Amino acid sequence: MAYSKIKLPASVSIIILFGFVLLSLQLMSSATQESSQLSEMYSWLLVINTLGSIILLGLVAVNAYSLVRELKKKEAGSKLTTRMVSLFVLLALAPAAIVFYFSVQFLHQGIDSWFNVEIDRAMDDALELSQSSLAQRMNWHIKQTRQMAEKLQDKSESSLALEVGSLWPDSGAAEIAVFSNQGHILASSSANPSEILPHLPDEQIWLQLRQNKEYFAYDPGDNDEMLARIIIPIQSDRSRFLQVLYPVPVRVTDLADSIEFAFIRYQEMTFLRDSLKTSFSLILLLVLLLSMLAAIWVAFISIRNIVAPVKELVKGTQAVADGDYQQQLPVMSQDDLGFLVESFNQMTRRIARSRDETRAAGLEVENQRAYLETILANLTAGVISFDASFYIRTANQAAYRILHIPVSHFVGQTLQTLTTKHGELAEMLNTIQRLLEKADDIWEQRIVFLGPNGRQELLCRGTPLYLQNGARMGAVVVFDDVTDLIQAQKNAAWGEVARRLAHEIKNPLTPIQLSAERLQHKLSKELQDGSAEFLQRGTRTIVQQVEAMKRMVDDFSEYARPSKKQVERINLIDLIQEVLALYMQSGIVFSSSLPTGRVIVEVDPVSIRQVLHNLIKNAQEATTAQCRVEIKIAKVIRNNAAYVELGIYDNGSGLNAEQIETIFEPYVTSKAKGTGLGLAIVKKIVEEHGGVIWVDTSYNAGAGFVLQLPVFEFGNSE
Amino acid sequence: MPNLANLFNHGLLICLLIWPLSSLAGNFAAKVRYAELVESPEAYSVDAKIDYQLSPTAREALQKGVPLSWDVLIQIRQPGLLRNSVLYSTKLSYTLQFHALLNQYEIKSPSGETEMFLTLNAALNYMALLHDATRFDIGLLKAGYGYQLAIKTEFNRERLPVPLRPVAYLDAQWFLSSDWFIWPIQK
Repeated sequence: MAYSKIKLPASVSIIILFGFVLLSLQLMSSATQESSQLSEMYSWLLVINTLGSIILLGLVAVNAYSLVRELKKKEAGSKLTTRMVSLFVLLALAPAAIVFYFSVQFLHQGIDSWFNVEIDRAMDDALELSQSSLAQRMNWHIKQTRQMAEKLQDKSESSLALEVGSLWPDSGAAEIAVFSNQGHILASSSANPSEILPHLPDEQIWLQLRQNKEYFAYDPGDNDEMLARIIIPIQSDRSRFLQVLYPVPVRVTDLADSIEFAFIRYQEMTFLRDSLKTSFSLILLLVLLLSMLAAIWVAFISIRNIVAPVKELVKGTQAVADGDYQQQLPVMSQDDLGFLVESFNQMTRRIARSRDETRAAGLEVENQRAYLETILANLTAGVISFDASFYIRTANQAAYRILHIPVSHFVGQTLQTLTTKHGELAEMLNTIQRLLEKADDIWEQRIVFLGPNGRQELLCRGTPLYLQNGARMGAVVVFDDVTDLIQAQKNAAWGEVARRLAHEIKNPLTPIQLSAERLQHKLSKELQDGSAEFLQRGTRTIVQQVEAMKRMVDDFSEYARPSKKQVERINLIDLIQEVLALYMQSGIVFSSSLPTGRVIVEVDPVSIRQVLHNLIKNAQEATTAQCRVEIKIAKVIRNNAAYVELGIYDNGSGLNAEQIETIFEPYVTSKAKGTGLGLAIVKKIVEEHGGVIWVDTSYNAGAGFVLQLPVFEFGNSE
Repeated sequence: MPNLANLFNHGLLICLLIWPLSSLAGNFAAKVRYAELVESPEAYSVDAKIDYQLSPTAREALQKGVPLSWDVLIQIRQPGLLRNSVLYSTKLSYTLQFHALLNQYEIKSPSGETEMFLTLNAALNYMALLHDATRFDIGLLKAGYGYQLAIKTEFNRERLPVPLRPVAYLDAQWFLSSDWFIWPIQK
């Protein structure tokens, strides 16, 4: 955060950068002038500007490389950045290159125009004229000096001083001196009285003097004046030399200097002609490079700043497409792109809000559906819903419990298709299908069918479902297994009958029997033989019938009385074998398939023994010929609980459908003698032990009864 | 940044290859023939002889009026483990210029005096010797220590006309400086 606070805005940085570039270029431009004080910094400025160009080139290269990498990775906004940068570079480079080319051309032509043959010749002529003038003056001075030397010949050292002094006024010389070849001053005279010593020749002059015998040249004198120095020997043996310094008039000196300066300057410019072109071209190139590279670098930065919101928008759009509606983009500017980003943020906020609302509504619906499913699943009644084409959409667990068809078999099926897989339910399913197709309103129907567990009675209620526009959208069928309820009602009714019989009928029977026996006892002695015998037959019949009625009433009482079981764990195989042993002499042929090992059940052995007796007696009484009884034992799993299934099959006359429906009801019998309570008591005992019993309708060779009892251990334990 | 790194490596290799070639091409460099420390009772002075050479380009520039400048650098060094310490240092500047009108060569010596010469050789011979009272305190050098007298002449490109300067740094014709001449001194 601290960094961002002190960070300069991009525009300010760019302005500062361009300021530096312009300042550097201006300094270098000024440094090209020889007269400028900056000329001493020219090389440094050149190096600095070159380094600046290299740094900028590096920055541009890094940016270009980074852009190429982004292009290869297909990052968002990279193509737009490339297009804008390319366009900018093209638009900036083309005119700059044209300006540079023509500037260089004009520059070269301009420099070339400084030089021409006439000026060359004029400069040479001017110099030659100056040199001729000076040479002529020098020749005249040489001649004058020679004449002085002749006058000084053969003069003694003592007279030299006087002679030199006499020569000076007419000569116009600035200084006249005579010195020996060892450099000793013999005589001198000067126009300037303050100069005591003459200007003696230095080593270089002496060297030339010894080589050439004479010396004459223009020397720069004091105070920017020029002197013609002439040294010639006085004596033929060169033992003495005369040196005369002639001043050159100031005007001549100034003119000569001026001509020399112009000539030298022109010569120097001629020599620097190509260097000038190169130098100026180099500066122009640096200006172009610095300007272009700085502009391109700034273009990179600016375009990246411009494209940044677009790049963020692309990323944001991708995130929204991937389902991330929480995407909020930073608003970097208040321009059109900023407005676009703000609109995008508003859009994502609204989408997120809508998504949340939809999700909440979906969750609510899901909760409601789960709640309804829970209710349906825990209903004891089976519920099946159908669509408009009578395909089953949903079914609850109770439907499975009642119909013994897994829910997964229901869904997506029609009732017709279920009949093919579950033939035992075909009649019931077809009945429901007919009712569904016909009914336009709520309907209710009791449907009786023989299921896998015997006779079942369902109370079905159907409700067709309609849309608001009246179109039929399906139906719901709710059904309940009322078999046990109806059976319980019947049992209760028969129990009440038995209780009333015991109460209303059995009580008068004893006085009837006692009265008949008293009649027999009192009257048998008084009556004659015929009448006495008749009375005896009559009273015996009364007593026998009363006894029979008592037994019948006792049976009813037994049926109606609540059971008093002595429950214990026994081996059912042992119990069966005990019972069968009792029938060894009865002529019944038993065939049994009993498992090895024990089958432990928790039952009242007396009651179960009575069940077996009743079933075997029934088989024996239903068979006219040789009675055969087959006993099967198997283990079954029902509702995650283990049961032993005991089947007893005979070869008798069998049962018709009407008999099957009522066989377990009290006072239902096909035999001439019998109370019709045998199978009713059997069913009662089995149900009291938590089991079920039904007629095996699939067995056609006689009657078959199947009972199931909870089992604790089944076979192969010993 | 592998491409930039490769570019840099290639550039460095080219520079390393070109550097010795440019040194070979620069056979116009001045040479210090000898240098010695002259001891007098009060002070030391330096005596040396330097051979100056002018390349054709430098000679042409001189003839066209371009002044040429050399700086003679003189140092007394005390060798150290890592680097030598400089006890005394001085710079003598010479400027050679041609006067077309007089057809003479002018040398401006370190003392500011000018000398005129009729020939270039005479001028260069004049420059070959040191013309300054290069004297320093006799107490500077202590007995029992080893010292070095280092001397070189350096062509001053920055005194050339501005357009010539960039070229002078790149063109071997302008490599007129000498190497350091080291003369051991044992006290």
